[in-house]
Parts: sequence; C-alpha cells; structure tokens
Amino acid sequence: MEKPVAKDPGFYIMVLIGLLIMFGAPIWFDLFAIMQVTQYVVLSVYALSLAYIWGFGGILSFGQSCFFGLGAYTFAVSSINIGETTFPFILSFVLPAAFGAALGYFMFYGRLSDVYLGVVTMVVTLIFWKIINHTAGPEYSIGDARLGGFNGIPSIPILNMPGDPDAWLDPAQMFKFFMFLLIVVYIGLRVLIASDFGRVSVGIRENETRSSLLGYDVRRHKVIIFAIGSGIAGMAGAMWATYQTFIDPNAFSLEMSAKALIWVMAGGVGTLAGPILGVILLQWLSLKLGTLQFLNNFVILGAILMVLVLALPRGLVPSVKHWALTGWEMFRRRERAAPPAKEVTSDV
Amino acid sequence: MSDADDHKVIRTTGLTMRFGGVTAVDHVDFALNEGELRCLLGPNGAGKSTFFKCLTGQLTPTEGVVEFRGQPITGWLTHDIVKLGIGIKTQVPNLFNGLSAYENVRLSARRKHLAPMARQKAEEMLEKCGVTDLAKREVGLLAHGQRQLVELAMVLAGEPSLVLLDEPAAGMTGDERDRLARLVLELSRNASVIVVEHDMAFIRQIAKQVTVFNRGAIFREAPIDEIMRDRAVQEIYLGKQADVAA
Amino acid sequence: MDYTIIVVIEILRAISWLVLLAAGLGIIFGMMRVINFAHGEFLMLGGYTVIMSTKAGVNIWFAMLVLAPLCVGLFGVLVERLVIRFLYGRILDSLLATWGLSLLMIGGVTLIFGNTVEGVSTPLGAVDIGAYSIPAYNFVLIFFAALFMVAIWGVMKFTRAGLIARATMQNPAMAEALGIRTTWVYMATFGIGSAVTGLAGGLLAPLTGVVPTMGVNFVGQSFITVITGGASMIAGTLSASTLLGSISQGMTILTGPVYGDAALLLAALVLLRLLPQGITGRIFTRSL
Repeated sequence: MEKPVAKDPGFYIMVLIGLLIMFGAPIWFDLFAIMQVTQYVVLSVYALSLAYIWGFGGILSFGQSCFFGLGAYTFAVSSINIGETTFPFILSFVLPAAFGAALGYFMFYGRLSDVYLGVVTMVVTLIFWKIINHTAGPEYSIGDARLGGFNGIPSIPILNMPGDPDAWLDPAQMFKFFMFLLIVVYIGLRVLIASDFGRVSVGIRENETRSSLLGYDVRRHKVIIFAIGSGIAGMAGAMWATYQTFIDPNAFSLEMSAKALIWVMAGGVGTLAGPILGVILLQWLSLKLGTLQFLNNFVILGAILMVLVLALPRGLVPSVKHWALTGWEMFRRRERAAPPAKEVTSDV
Repeated sequence: MSDADDHKVIRTTGLTMRFGGVTAVDHVDFALNEGELRCLLGPNGAGKSTFFKCLTGQLTPTEGVVEFRGQPITGWLTHDIVKLGIGIKTQVPNLFNGLSAYENVRLSARRKHLAPMARQKAEEMLEKCGVTDLAKREVGLLAHGQRQLVELAMVLAGEPSLVLLDEPAAGMTGDERDRLARLVLELSRNASVIVVEHDMAFIRQIAKQVTVFNRGAIFREAPIDEIMRDRAVQEIYLGKQADVAA
Repeated sequence: MDYTIIVVIEILRAISWLVLLAAGLGIIFGMMRVINFAHGEFLMLGGYTVIMSTKAGVNIWFAMLVLAPLCVGLFGVLVERLVIRFLYGRILDSLLATWGLSLLMIGGVTLIFGNTVEGVSTPLGAVDIGAYSIPAYNFVLIFFAALFMVAIWGVMKFTRAGLIARATMQNPAMAEALGIRTTWVYMATFGIGSAVTGLAGGLLAPLTGVVPTMGVNFVGQSFITVITGGASMIAGTLSASTLLGSISQGMTILTGPVYGDAALLLAALVLLRLLPQGITGRIFTRSL
C-alpha cells in the first residue's frame, strides 16, 4: 500500500490519460460528444468524494447525495443572487464541507457504530429531499432565487471567467475546466492519502482502537475526512448544476446516493481509479439498458448493487488485479520453485 | 501534587471497575516508581487486563482515581492519555492488519517525529525487535509471536516513558522470548515498565518487584524471590485460593 | 375535558404509528443487528397486498390481518434464504444488499402496477367524543400497536421459541453449541419481522394509499425509532416511539408534517450524541 505517489507509475498513467483527454477530446470529438463526456467527468468527481471517505477513511455514507444536492442548490441560489459564478462555486465547496463537519461531529463524537452511521446519513438525506420537495410555493425564496420545490430551479448561470461575469465558458472550455478539476481532485486526494494524515486515516480504517492507543484522535480525524468528502461532493453538485443549468430535488435523492455507492463498489473500495472506471462503465450500461421497455432505472440499480455485494464484494479493479497477480504468481511458481512471499500491493 | 507523587509515574487510589454485578477490579491502590520495572502476576480473570484498560482510558473506572506523574487522568480519552507518554501492548496483538509491519511501526513513530526521522526511527525499532525482514509483510498474515514483536516495535517507536505490556511473550519461540527479555530490560533503563505475564521463566529473567493480582485486588507485593517461595501465591495458581485465604 | 381526551388519543395514535412502523424492523435489528434497508418496501408490499386483494373482492380485515403478514412474511423468508444468509457477519454488506433490494422492489412494483396511487376507503366510521369527532380507525391502530408489544413480550418471555430466540440473541456461538440451529432462528426471525412489517403496511394502507415509492415516506421514521431505541426490541421501540412520537406530533401540530420529520431526526441525533447505543444501550439495558 505504501508507495510514494512520486514513484507509482499508475499515478502518472492516470494523470497522463486525464491530460490527454482534457486537451485531445475537444479536437477529436464534436460538441455533442463533448457535452456527453462532460457528464461523466462531473459524476467522476462525485464518485471520488465517496471513494475517498469510504476507501481511505472507512466511512460508509449512504447519503452522499445530501452533499451533492447541497452543493448544487448552494451554487444555484448564490449565483442567481450574485450574478457571477466564481464565489458561488467556492461556496458550493465550503458550505457542504461545513455541514459535513457539523453532521460528522454528531456522528463521530457520538461514536456511532457502522449501522447507525448508515442509517443516520440516509435519513438526513431523505429529510433534505422531503423538505426541498415541499418548497414549491413562492414564499420559499432566497433572495432572487425561488427554490421551486419539485419543479426545481431553472436558468442557473453558466460558469464565467473569474472577475468577468459576462465571459461565459463555452462547452469546450467548460469541459476543459471540469477535466482540470477532476485531475486536480485526483492528484489532491492521492497526495492527501500518501501524506501522514492519509496514513493515519488508513490506520484508523484498519484499527480504531490501536490508532487511539498510539495517541491519534480518531473522532477528529473522521470529521475532517468526512468534511473533505462532503466538500468535494458539493463541488460536483455545483458542476452538475451549471452543466445542466437546472437542478431539481432529485439531486438529493436516494437514487443519487445509491449510484455513488455502486460506482465505488464496482470500481473497488480503496482505489481512486476504480470508481472513475465504475462511472464510465455503469453510466454507459444504464444508458443502454434504460432503452429497454421492460426495465426501469430502479430495477437496474438495485440489481447491480445486489450482484456486486453478493458476487464481487471487492469490486472490479481489485478483483482483476487479484486475478492478474494470482495468475502471475502461478506463472512464476512454475518458473521458480519458491513462491514469492505475499507483499502488500500498491493501490492506484 | 504531594511530594510523594513526584517519584510516582502512575498511581491509582481505590480504583474499581464493575461490569454489571461483576467487580473486575476492586479498590486497587497501586503505585509505580520512576524507572521501575514491575511484573503483574495472577490467574486468568484476576483483573490485570481490565486494570490496564483503566490506566489507558479504554475503560472509565466506576470508582477511584488514576494519576500520571501527579496529574489526575481519570475519565480522559485514550488518545489524550497516551499522548502523555504511555505505550501499551494489548493482550491480543492489536495491529493494523492490512498494512505492512513497517507501516504499522511508522504510524507510531510519526506522531512524535517528522517524516524523515520517523522513517529512520521505524527502521531502527524493527531492527531492535529483530523483525526487519518482516518489514514489507502484511501483519495480518504473520504468526502470533511475530505479531507480538511488531506490536512491541510499534510501542517502542512512540518513545513512551511508561510502557504497559500485556502478555508479551505469549506465542513466542524460545529465541524470540530471550530477545524480548533483553529488550524489556534495555527498555527499563529509560522508561518505567509494567509487564503482565504467566511465563515464570520469563518473569525470572526480568523482574525484581512483583505484584500479584487475585480476584480483582492486589494479593501480594514483594520481590520476585519472596513471591517464588510464597505458598499462598502458588496455591492461587493451582486454584486453591479458598483454603489459603482462610 | 373532551379536548384533553382528544389530545391524549392523538398522541397515543402518533406513538402507535411509530410502534407499528418500527416493530418489524426492531425485531430483526434486535436479533441480528441488521437494519433491513428495504423495510419501507416491505411496508409497501403489505399495503399492495391489502389494496389489491380488497379490489379483488376479499374482505378488508381478512386482507389486512391474514394476507398481508402471510405474503410479506413468506417474501421475507425468501429474501433471507437468497440474500441475507450469505451476509451474516458482514453488516455493511447486508445494508448494501438490502438497499439494492429496496431499489429493485420499487422498480419491480412500478413495472407491475404502474406508478399511480391506489387506495381503499378507511373502514369504520367516526366516533364522537363530546363536541369532537375522530376516526374510529385510530383505535384500531392503537389496539394493534399495543397488541404487537404485548404479543412479542409474551412470546419472548414465556414460550420455548422465545427462549431459543433470546439465547441466540445473547450468544449465538453458545446457542449453536447447545444444538440450536441458529441459521433457522435467523430465518424465522427475518420471516416474523417481515410478517409484522407486512401487517403494519396493511394497516397503514387505507390511511396513506399505496404507490411504489411510498416506502421512502416511512423509512425515516422507522429507522430513527429503531436506532434511537437501541437493541432491545420492546423497551427500545416503546421508549423511542413515546419520546419521538410526542416530539414529532408536537412539531407537526405547530408547523406541518415535513418539519415533524426533521424535528424527529434532530431529536434523535442529539439523543444519539448522548447515548450512542440508543436509549436501551444505557437505560433499561436488561430488558427485552
């Protein structure tokens, strides 16, 4: 597991692929395709937020969409009021992170067990979803922005250049910027995970008692991890809102939380590259399956989730890696008599 | 802070821990001098591990006071207590199973040192405990005795001034046990140490003063030679304490 | 005087509501420490059983009290055999799997019955208390909530099955060593918990109508009640229902049902901050 980021080839490959897509895609693809890919980019950022807190902090949240939705609505409301998007974009990270810290305080300083944690995160999300659904009337406005209840908020501003509210980003620029953000989040998380803070987080995931016996404050650590994840999810929400120029309460839905879990599970808990792969694979799959008349989104999501838990609990990337490693070792064992001792492998 | 406490690393007064109707630790008054190496003896269920857990805040005692160098720490959270300079090796090795031995030890060293120094410290401790060749292995897959040594390296890497070792020799081979005895003796030159152990051969190698626990209370406190000769203590281990107490 | 009676009945109804919602979930959680995330959909299934069979001409009481628990109970056994039993000891995975089941059930029922609200009229008329008139059905809810609690207590305390269940709950390994097939105990528990949930869903159906996504409206209340109550089935469910029922009913009277739920959660969060194992983790620890 411990391999400095600087020495891990997987890290460079990922960043290189990212940069290649960032600069290459606008040249190779038409506008429509770029818009489609943008969607995957936004959802990948969202997936990374859960991949981090679950895989590297051991916090399984059933309510990641709570922060996604909070970020989206924060961006929508503040950008409509302010008339520019730079500050609202920053706010859409800060506010969900702050809310995550507050909720985290209750959960982690209360030392809630895993089951309780799952239930609380899910119920908080449900309540947000319910409340926002009930804000259809004109009396529910924040400044110039009407919350619109189940109708959602239309005409959300497109991102503009910082300092120039009239210089809107065109779709290709927006794609590049989002791709840039994805790369930044990926690098940031990799560096964070490899840092001392990250190592302690992994230690806490592995053994909370031992961590506190070494003098680390488990509760504070978890609150910080949870807040960082919440902030990233919130930022993804803002990206989603400005990409669609529209947001409705479905951003808060359980479906949206379930998707994040499924992507991370499919890609593999404890990796960052996996969940991105999960987004691409499963979004594409549900797009294909969604065209079938006899299925609906809930059936697809539910079935995938159950199959993953029962058949592939380790997720795709770790499973493939494991098969590859076992295959390689069997191959080597045939070459040499003595099998190599098991060493801890690096996580991409 | 009274004058007497100046020389006590840890002192408990009337320490009591009850679980429902069971009293696991019963009004224990215990004190350890600076730099002392003390062995705790006692049959299974005598309350030794519970006593340790009360010292480190893993359990909050029902009654009584724990002081560390004269400072009351009763009711503190574990990580705050540990930061005062206490290292504990628990009875069942308590490790980060998914991480390598080196990573385990480094996590401990890192709390006191910056990164480059922490690496050096971790490597030094692995070397000292004789597990350098296990550095890259996942500790969840190691043998019990090896895990004990890794955990010891981890405790030492935190540079504690008070070390609590709960059955450190369990599951060790003869060689490993000799190494452990040397380590504990060396350790006690710079720190105060409390060791819980059953292995009499091991205890004779290291101990001077011994405290015997029975039924949650202190039964005897004397030099090792006296304890070895003490009929009553032998009876406890043979399970005839009822007759002896009378 | 009349008004006092009405308020008391209203509060009792709110408490009973939570007891009904949470009882089945509480049985499963108390025995197996598993939260069934498809709980809302089990309620929904009970509701559909009642509405559909009533429309087919079955007597509504028979549908509510016999068919609903039977169908959902059998479904629960099926789920336990096909999914849950592979996940014992993997608590988080069982949460994920039951959540998958929840989505699957919403989708499946939508495909079969469509995404429309179905309903039947509430049986029994109104009862006059002085100048006020309240639905007689309220008393049915209160009666069944009380019956659930008494029945569970009686079974657990006085029957052989209850003794086996309690033994397994305390120490599964030891129970196994005494020759109890704990896998069967778990299967039965899941089945009974599901049946109770089905009955509750059937009782609630005439009040709320049924729609595939209706579970979402109840899981919040049920989950909060159970985890606030803690691991004891009866004392936990009762104490949490009483506390939270009063709070949410008060909040609902003041501001409307949406914030009632929010108040419920807030109260539960504060409570869990103080008592992380739920009410029965600290108080009434020895009770069932």
